[in-house]
Amino acid sequence: MIMIKKRRIPRLLQLVLVVLGIYFGFILTFDVILGQLIPKSLLTMYMFFVISGVLMVFTFTEESTQELIDPIKALVEDPSKKMLRNIVFVIVPLLAGLYTYSSLSLSFEAPVELRTIHPAPPSKVKAYGKRFDLATLENPYRKYEKEDPDKFRELVKEGGDVYIQGCQYCHGDKLDGKGPYAEGLNPTPLNFQDVGTIAQLQESYVFWRIATGGPGLPAEAAPWISSMPVWQDFLSEDEIWKVILFLYDYTGHQPRSWEHE
Amino acid sequence: MRQINLFKLVLLVGLLLVAGTTVAKPGDLDRGKEIYDKRCTWCHGDEGDGLGAAEEYLNPPPRDFTSGNYKVKTSGFDEMVPNDDDVYRMIRDGMPGTSMPGWSSLLSKQDMWDLVAYVKMFAEFEEAPEQQVDYGTPVATSAESIAKGKEIFEDGDRCVECHGKTGKGDAIKGLKGDASERTWPRNLTKPWTYLGSNTPKDIFTRISAGIPGTEMPSFADPKSKKVLSIEERWHVANYVVSLAKTEKVINAENTVIKADMLEGDLPDSPDDERWEQTIPTTFLLVPQIIGEERFFKPSNDTITVRAVYNDKAVAMLLEWDDRTKSIPGDERAEKIADKPIQEDGVAVQLPIEIPDKMVKPYFGMGDATHPVNLWQWKSGTTDAAETVAMFNSRGFKDVEARDAADAGLQAKGSYHEGTWRVVMVRPLTTADAENDLQFIEGRFIPVAFAAWDGSNLGEKGSRHTMTTWYWLLLKPSTGVMPIIMALLIAGLFAGALLWWARNAATGKAAGKDSKEGTV
Repeated sequence: MIMIKKRRIPRLLQLVLVVLGIYFGFILTFDVILGQLIPKSLLTMYMFFVISGVLMVFTFTEESTQELIDPIKALVEDPSKKMLRNIVFVIVPLLAGLYTYSSLSLSFEAPVELRTIHPAPPSKVKAYGKRFDLATLENPYRKYEKEDPDKFRELVKEGGDVYIQGCQYCHGDKLDGKGPYAEGLNPTPLNFQDVGTIAQLQESYVFWRIATGGPGLPAEAAPWISSMPVWQDFLSEDEIWKVILFLYDYTGHQPRSWEHE
Repeated sequence: MRQINLFKLVLLVGLLLVAGTTVAKPGDLDRGKEIYDKRCTWCHGDEGDGLGAAEEYLNPPPRDFTSGNYKVKTSGFDEMVPNDDDVYRMIRDGMPGTSMPGWSSLLSKQDMWDLVAYVKMFAEFEEAPEQQVDYGTPVATSAESIAKGKEIFEDGDRCVECHGKTGKGDAIKGLKGDASERTWPRNLTKPWTYLGSNTPKDIFTRISAGIPGTEMPSFADPKSKKVLSIEERWHVANYVVSLAKTEKVINAENTVIKADMLEGDLPDSPDDERWEQTIPTTFLLVPQIIGEERFFKPSNDTITVRAVYNDKAVAMLLEWDDRTKSIPGDERAEKIADKPIQEDGVAVQLPIEIPDKMVKPYFGMGDATHPVNLWQWKSGTTDAAETVAMFNSRGFKDVEARDAADAGLQAKGSYHEGTWRVVMVRPLTTADAENDLQFIEGRFIPVAFAAWDGSNLGEKGSRHTMTTWYWLLLKPSTGVMPIIMALLIAGLFAGALLWWARNAATGKAAGKDSKEGTV
């Protein structure tokens, strides 16, 4: 009993703080840290579950339920809290009215478009008027990494020249997807430094994505908005393989290969 | 050239004087070279001469470190050598409005100091500069200081000669950089594009030290007829900060152009005052680098769009800063333009059908199965008035000309002090529903834009700037329903609370009574 008397935060306030904490946690994680705005409808759904869950925890025992209800009861019934009661009785209906108004007014938020970033590749890919089998396709220059390191450095350098002339506008000098024009594109260009992009992919997949570009994507990846050019129109096969060497070399990532799995 | 030779002479004398003493260096040259060869050489070149593989493709071109010109520096106007901190800061933060990114996310502090040491070596800079920009007593911004700054800015041809009366860089002077490349004066109303940040102190520094390698001079040089006192320079800096046009800041979350419904006629002139009451939405313009022929050196950078509609038509106001009014045949326009001069232009792209699901036409002029409508306005020549044309296209190559007048499409442009404003009006519906978009209120309609600056490298055809898909929404009126419902709900809540309180009070009273009764 003495423990409880120890300047403890009232249960009701605790509940409110926990819910608010989670709410702002969501906003902080998605909007600020990840830079991905969380859609309002999704946030409402999450918060519904959060509030239900928190209520369940807070009303787990009869005692705790009582502790939660008591201050509310007191507010309504205790004559000494008349002033506070009047304030609450004005604010609560106003908030309810405001919420109704804003939810009935039309939302002018842009529709949410969900797209697959790394769609499953087709097994056979058409490019350069030929068919490529992605399961067996390999970078013809990869072998020099071990066999002839000097030649390999030369190839990486040539790939770098291709990159800086063709790709940095969007994917950036640092390969971080933040090139000078990146912000004008939707979806934004991929960040190759990230462990979730080329580090997860095989070179044959990267070859397919470069050669056929945005328009070569399957429908689930929304090919109509990708700004990736169709590089087979601008680069030779050799140049693409070299630029792939550069992408992995600059970022320090290793391509995935069948042997590792 | 002469400057460099003179500099070398001074350096040689300096070296002889300090021979034998050791000069403290913050960075390690060998490490610096290693990092430089991996990260910087692509643009700035192995020899630091700005002749890397990217050289031809960047605007402004990569800095030639051997020239010794550092645009953003805090050493005095008569000093060529920048402070180490200046070089460090450029590497760390990058330079807005150029291809130079900030490197702090990839390189450690020591890495960047090593680079400072290595990069300075290309111009044989060994000693720290002696003269520094004198900041005196900074003048905090105030209405009074801004007014004084404005007066100085507009006085004579000190600033307006290049930056124009409104600061948009729309003056008549053709400028060159130290690589003899064409340069355009800064549009001061977009401070987020300043190379060296936009704080009053940084602007004061640029005014005082000038921007080496460009035609921006120092206004601290007592030998200059245009010299300004320290206090005057602070006023100008405060005025320049105040020029920012915040409605032209891009808000990445803002992807919807919201058109309000108007009673009566639509504004069909760019100068109609009713446009002031509409909400502007600004988008980034990027060069067309997707299809043949790729275009790398744009001058237009953003476009601001407003829209309204009534029961008959929709009107869009397209507004973008362009330093030059490019009218082929016009003597003044021809003089300042890159040859050959072309007309300025702007275009709106819409799908032919409002998409039901997520599928849209390819954002680069549509595709075989999803064609787009294109409305293109051109500024005209001295022999011909402005024009508006209509096309339907299924990709870059498959473009079909249509009759704009048949669809009722009209456009009217006006150029004023560095800004084009073009209004396009089209009826909500047309007779040819197969080939024209039919506007419907309340639906999200994909929309994209393109712009041409005919004075910049002959922008024409595929050489232009463009946006990705955004949205146009003709805002339906919501009516009084939400207000009625809101009042109803608020009333219900108030009633329920009162009933509860009343009940509790009487219940308690009743409880008391019964207790008393039993006692």
